[in-house]
Amino acid sequence: MYRSKKAGIIGIVITIIILIFIVIFSNGDSNNTFFENIASNLVMPIQNGLTYLKNQLSGNDTFFTDINKLNEENEELKQKNSQLEQSLRELENIKTENETLKEYLNLTEKYGEYKTIPGYVINKDISNYSKTIVISIGKKDGVEEQMTVIGDKGLVGHVISVTDSTAKVQTIIDTASSVSCSMSTTKDSIVCKGTLDDMSLLRAMYIPTEANIIQGDSIETSGLGGIYPKGIHIGTVKKVTNTQNLTDRYALIETAVDFNKLDTVLVINNK
Amino acid sequence: MRKVIINIALIITTIILYILQANLFNWFTIAGVMPNLFVIFILFIGLFGSKTMGTIYGLTVGLFLDFVIGARIGVNCLGLGIIGFLAMIFDKNFSKDSRMTIMVMVMVATIIFEVIVYLINYIIVSINVEIINFIRILAIEVLYNVILTIITYPIIQKAGYYIENEYKGNKILTRYF
Repeated sequence: MYRSKKAGIIGIVITIIILIFIVIFSNGDSNNTFFENIASNLVMPIQNGLTYLKNQLSGNDTFFTDINKLNEENEELKQKNSQLEQSLRELENIKTENETLKEYLNLTEKYGEYKTIPGYVINKDISNYSKTIVISIGKKDGVEEQMTVIGDKGLVGHVISVTDSTAKVQTIIDTASSVSCSMSTTKDSIVCKGTLDDMSLLRAMYIPTEANIIQGDSIETSGLGGIYPKGIHIGTVKKVTNTQNLTDRYALIETAVDFNKLDTVLVINNK
Repeated sequence: MRKVIINIALIITTIILYILQANLFNWFTIAGVMPNLFVIFILFIGLFGSKTMGTIYGLTVGLFLDFVIGARIGVNCLGLGIIGFLAMIFDKNFSKDSRMTIMVMVMVATIIFEVIVYLINYIIVSINVEIINFIRILAIEVLYNVILTIITYPIIQKAGYYIENEYKGNKILTRYF
């Protein structure tokens, strides 16, 4: 029991604050700049004052002339830097746009032959160890078990159970999922399995000893196994790990689909 | 009548917890790891409810989760059922008055639940065993569950003793000494 009610409430409030901070700081650095700015604004005036005092005491009279020059130089460099950053951003935008258009073009060409049913992701898994999703279409819409599910950029997974209006999809990043794939350039067959490590990584296993894996190579479904049709884009080879035994070597595949932002899916009706 | 109200409240709480787990805690994560509210909930029912209440609720809530989102029916059902049974053993052997004891119970229950579920999945679908990643995720999950227990401890205790008085009466004297 808490010693007193007030102490208990303070304890809970402190725990909630700590929890919020842990969540913020453990999930990426997007919020760091904001906190860095606050910390910097708090500390910098004091720091500047102390530096000024230190320089005064040590008789450094060139401090102000130097700092004025440096300030001017700094301003010029900042302007140049922002101009360069601006052009870099424009180039990156064009590059991304180009890539997206290429992917869409590829997808339409690739999956044009299939009849697809569009749906939304309505629920994500509540466990840390499995990655199943629930989509908004079911038997009524023509969805059946074992049908392939794709996203805008590539393979998502396959339907494992269906109700009248929803369907459960086992994603390719689920640790229980195994997809038979092939590399687009060498056409070597591999098996991609989900990992606990990351939401966007697959582990390519059973790589043939004579196979040559190229970093950045595109990975597609091979059509073996009977669930996934041939030629659906999965992702690209991110890293190849060689082990002492050549048969144990594996590669990490970065999925084309961003499973954190997955909203809309297409179910391929191949029956 | 009171028992009926208690059970209705527990069913409503299950739904609220599901909504929280599936929506809020899907993005309010520690390094991408979610807590497991159901382990805390079933442990709480098992500790304060009647002898079989924890196991029954564990099996039912687990089955509900299996139907709604689980890839394989029976995994969560068995896992949470065991947690309910474990809570009954905890209730027999330990005092519930100490916050520290409850925290340790949550810690042990979370570890046991996740290990059971992982083992079942390993046996059924022969998933790749990734011990280091599993331990990393489990450690964060345990920490998250413990933090949530600290925050919700006053509610757990108040509601818990209300349920206990209703189901067991004031026969248990240990907490008055």
